[in-house]
Amino acid sequence: MIRLNKSDSSFKDEVMAEPGGENLMRCFSCGTCMSACIIRREEPEYNPRRIMRMAILGMREKVLSSHLIWLCSACDACYKRCPQHIHISDLFAAFRNIAVREGYTPPGPVAQVNERTCVACGLCVEVCPYDAVELVQKRVLGHEKTVSQVDPARCMSCGVCAASCRSGSIDLVNFSDVTVFEVMQEQLLAEALG
Amino acid sequence: MVDAARHPKVHILTYSEVQRIEGFIGNFRAKVLKKPRYVDPDRCNGCGQCSPVCPIEVPNEFEEGIAPRKAIYIPHGQSVPLVYTVDIDNCIHCYKCVNACGKLEAINFNQQPEEVWLDVGTIIVATGFDSFDPSPIEEYGYGVYDNVITTLELERIHNSAGPTAGRFIRPSDGKTPKSVAFVQCVGSRDERFNIYCSGFCCMYTIKNALVLKQMYPDAEITIFYMDIRTPSKGYEEFYQRARQEGIRFIQGRPSQISEDAETGNLFIQAEDIALGEVVELEAEMVVLSTAAVPRADAEEMSSILNISRSPGGFYMEYHPKLRPIDSPTDGVFLAGAAQGPKDIPASVSQGAAAAARAGRIMAADKWEIEPIVAYVWAERCISAQGKQCGICAKACPYDAIVVEKGTAAQVTAAKCHGCGGCVAECPHNAITQMHFTDAQILAQMHALLAKEPEKKIMAFMCNWCSYGGADTAGTSHFEYPSNSRGVRVMCSARMDADFVYEAFRLGAGMVLVSGCHPQDCHYITGQQVGAARFDRLSKILEKIGISPQRFRIEWISAAEGAKYARVIREMGESLKAFDPQALHEENERVRPELEKRLRKLPEIPRVAEVLGQK
Repeated sequence: MIRLNKSDSSFKDEVMAEPGGENLMRCFSCGTCMSACIIRREEPEYNPRRIMRMAILGMREKVLSSHLIWLCSACDACYKRCPQHIHISDLFAAFRNIAVREGYTPPGPVAQVNERTCVACGLCVEVCPYDAVELVQKRVLGHEKTVSQVDPARCMSCGVCAASCRSGSIDLVNFSDVTVFEVMQEQLLAEALG
Repeated sequence: MVDAARHPKVHILTYSEVQRIEGFIGNFRAKVLKKPRYVDPDRCNGCGQCSPVCPIEVPNEFEEGIAPRKAIYIPHGQSVPLVYTVDIDNCIHCYKCVNACGKLEAINFNQQPEEVWLDVGTIIVATGFDSFDPSPIEEYGYGVYDNVITTLELERIHNSAGPTAGRFIRPSDGKTPKSVAFVQCVGSRDERFNIYCSGFCCMYTIKNALVLKQMYPDAEITIFYMDIRTPSKGYEEFYQRARQEGIRFIQGRPSQISEDAETGNLFIQAEDIALGEVVELEAEMVVLSTAAVPRADAEEMSSILNISRSPGGFYMEYHPKLRPIDSPTDGVFLAGAAQGPKDIPASVSQGAAAAARAGRIMAADKWEIEPIVAYVWAERCISAQGKQCGICAKACPYDAIVVEKGTAAQVTAAKCHGCGGCVAECPHNAITQMHFTDAQILAQMHALLAKEPEKKIMAFMCNWCSYGGADTAGTSHFEYPSNSRGVRVMCSARMDADFVYEAFRLGAGMVLVSGCHPQDCHYITGQQVGAARFDRLSKILEKIGISPQRFRIEWISAAEGAKYARVIREMGESLKAFDPQALHEENERVRPELEKRLRKLPEIPRVAEVLGQK
């Protein structure tokens, strides 16, 4: 049983104050998002309607600690169908922003910038579909330097930045160039050897 | 209301009761009992000096009993007329009010009840509704826990003109609740109490939630609901606004409300259906959105006005789609929640429509009615011969027949709606129905059963329901045997036992009598008159020796085309299963008894020639 008085009823206000979270309370749980969701096909536990519902009921910890809020691919199949015009991927970005502030980290791999080699060309910023990369001033090895920085709350681990980086300065954890090449080689070798 | 009171052509009789209605459309007479106020309305100027000196305090009905009123009082601030009334049951006759009134001398304890007869052309029934008393729903604890209240009580508590002067406080300790839970569908959509949806409670709950949110932005407001119903213009937007203002809607009907005896707070248990989990909420106040129910005196008024009631108990309209404002009695119209739960815009619309419907009649010198009415052959009526009868008057749903010993039964054509119940019930065949005479109906039967009657299903259908059902079966292309033959009459009440006897005498293989479901009857109680007769008839037929499967009674609505087709199919199969020789022998065996029962039939004007007995 969920004791609503033990839950944080101000959580909904917190979400609504976060950019992207404004329309949380418009949700009336019709379930359109859930049935349109492509992530759900891979991860049956994932249910955007349920997560929004938990947020409305103030189940703060449950929402922020859930690995599910990191799964939205922002395909927006739900957004164009939502009868209440809730931009659900933005709403989930709001959840993630709050989660990061609270010290939660994404469960999956995110892009990692090698700040030593980064030349701040900004290509990664241009190609990122999720606006997760930006150029920032930073002190690297004692020098003031402009480098690109990945927002783990927004990064969806697609790897576009890593693929496009001219200086080879971005890698995806568990999916670095080296790892991918190794896997490819192994498979090709296995095929060649029959 | 004030405008109406000032209108030269509007007379308002308050504190009065309609006791009797006589007459018919355009010519009603109403007996009204004017109860004594013990205050002369011409002298009382509403100054209010009398009330404060009165030592008696009783629960104030207008304030839902949560505030007192005196024994000399006005119901509420906007009362029309603004005249005080002495509640004589609670008055102790101290006469302090008389002294306070002083020179005006408006208080008169010698007033007596007064009966007045009013001549009126039309009547509009706008008697409103009552609010459901939720105390029988034990799991919600209304009447047990102080802080469980109804929405009407809440309306008074946060009203600036209410007993708390707008201070929103809870009954147990007078503190302003920081959390309020509303529970929807209390006593409605509940088979234990009222099956219908009251319609407007969703909106008034949302309104109250928003009002509270405006007054106390930090208040936690939760609404437990089964479905939110916001079907009118602008309503859904209102619901959306409420969600955005932060009001929490939980789909799930609470199963239990319990109280923390120390704090007076309440624990509400419900399933959050969207989450599929049980939730428990502690709230400082619970507000029950109670159903709108028919007024306690709805039954009494329905018999005074001779109008019927729908299954929920509200007054029934003539036709749910096409004549939603007319009652079954011509010249009597329905307005507002008396006809069914309604919100303000719908009530205003229906009120205006009822006034317009009545206005048509008031403006006309003559009013045309349906020509299908009952007609009494005075010379055949035994009441005219000084004998006791009155069966016709008993069958009439409209009180249109007056029977006085010594004179023939009198039908008031303007009150008759033409169900034909009296015609079929009259044991002496002394009444006929225009356009549906015995001779006409018998002639149809003779033609339909002229060839191979033993292979035929003779179906009697009422105009409004079962004939419509047969029609629906046809237009929907539902198949049923082609050996059925239908006779349409206005109501199942018109289906004379003699018609059934004659059908079997002619050799009909099967006979079906069919009409409206009881609650759908277009003639108030016509169906009941028919149903009672068919009940008796099926026993008689069996006794005579007609196999029970050959006579069938079915109630089929105009929408039930599939049911009509199924009934005829079943009867067709049952006829097929009957050995033709046995059927023929059965017919021959019962014919003498049927003939005996039908021996008086040829006496009815023009029937003899139909029967070929010139």
